[in-house]
Amino acid sequence: MPTTRADVRPDLVVDFDIYDPALTMPVDRMQERTAELAKVGPIVWSPAYAGHWLVTAYDEVHEILRDPATFSSYPNNLVDAGQGKFLPIELDPPEHTSYRQALQPLFNPTRMRALEPRIRELVVELIEKFQGAGKVEFVEQFAHELPTTVFLALMGWPLEDAPMFTEATEIAMNGKPGDTPEQAVASRTEAAMQMFGYFMQVIHARRAAAEAGEELDDITTAVMHTRIKDAEGVERDLTDDELARMFFLLLIAGLHTVQGTLCWMMLHLSTNTDQRDAVIADADAIPAAVEEVLRYEAQVAMGRRAVRDVEIGGVTIKADDQLLLLLCSANRDDSQFADPQSLRVDRTPNRHLSFGSGPHRCIGSHLARVELRIAMEEIHKRIPDYRSDPEDPAVVLPSQVRGFARLPLLFTPVTPS
Amino acid sequence: MDRYLTVDRGACAGHGLCYGAAPEIVDCDDQGDPIILVEPVPEALLGQAEHVVDICPERALALQESLQASPSA
Repeated sequence: MPTTRADVRPDLVVDFDIYDPALTMPVDRMQERTAELAKVGPIVWSPAYAGHWLVTAYDEVHEILRDPATFSSYPNNLVDAGQGKFLPIELDPPEHTSYRQALQPLFNPTRMRALEPRIRELVVELIEKFQGAGKVEFVEQFAHELPTTVFLALMGWPLEDAPMFTEATEIAMNGKPGDTPEQAVASRTEAAMQMFGYFMQVIHARRAAAEAGEELDDITTAVMHTRIKDAEGVERDLTDDELARMFFLLLIAGLHTVQGTLCWMMLHLSTNTDQRDAVIADADAIPAAVEEVLRYEAQVAMGRRAVRDVEIGGVTIKADDQLLLLLCSANRDDSQFADPQSLRVDRTPNRHLSFGSGPHRCIGSHLARVELRIAMEEIHKRIPDYRSDPEDPAVVLPSQVRGFARLPLLFTPVTPS
Repeated sequence: MDRYLTVDRGACAGHGLCYGAAPEIVDCDDQGDPIILVEPVPEALLGQAEHVVDICPERALALQESLQASPSA
């Protein structure tokens, strides 16, 4: 029998729902709230979603991520859009392993570094579009555009389709603004169906092109050629449905996360101006500064499910219990990080868990780092005195991938060279 | 005394901080896993080697007196 509220020590029961809009609106209080949970214990219990454990401490999060035999990554989400398993993030080893080995080379550090000149050109082009105005809605004009354009180029999908699947993935994750919980389920499902329709068109168009001898050299083609070993060890092609679920995951994982981190970078460096000055003064400080921004605001809270009874963090987790790993809280655990509530761009060592750990560690991390580093370099060369607009505050959205809807910024206008 | 940088392959999760920080000592393969480039680590690079041991999130790197003592051997 899985854990019920009655089984949990009363002092470990907390009132917390990661999808609750009150956590981030009108003002983002996620870190404050998860820090309160961490004070209650390394692992606490929320009655939301039929009950789940919230893991707040670094060591426990790290251990769970590295132990897929005890903690399955399915289901990863407390709510879903009826899309079936996201591939390969919701598979466990050994089934997961052949997916990972096939996908990893497509996003490896050498390939991602080779994209640097194209990414820099794009970053400069985006900044030059708004640098003369002295103000920018940073999500729409930069943080969304950059990862979307890079991702679509890698996948070989048309740029003009971006607004459609941006909206659809947002709804698939968060429902529509103002939805009741029941309406949100319907909105999510509808959005996921729309995305699947899109992916099926992509897959069919690619198959037709391949038959006509016009195969493109991009990640879509590489993924479609992936051979995986199923649970019985038999090698086979991916089905259309599996391909669609893999594309859906890459889309969610590749766009929303970088968008959010770019926004946190601007928000926190604009209020920690001594740290920003360090970045402006020395471009060599930027790689470490990127890691610190990643640590300071981890976007993701991934789910795990216990496959057997296990003692951890002072509690007994039972088979079939759901867990939610709060990376944002683990990354501010003072047993791992000195002065964790301070943003220190020269922090070392900085063993943050924003990309996760274990077999599912973020496959796109090397791409994310290139995008974040180049954005940090070029922004601080061009509009270094940005600040939030007091008349038009940022809008942060909750959920298991926390992110920004809006981030209006002001800065001294610069004439494009 | 020679010092060798070793990787515990069971612990490594491919974060890539090592080859990002010290490309003269560590490169990566097609899967994003580290490849140690210098055996033993030259005296002049020992400081960098100690740094990558320190920053590894999985504590998978170690500086040892011989390759035989390595957990990956």
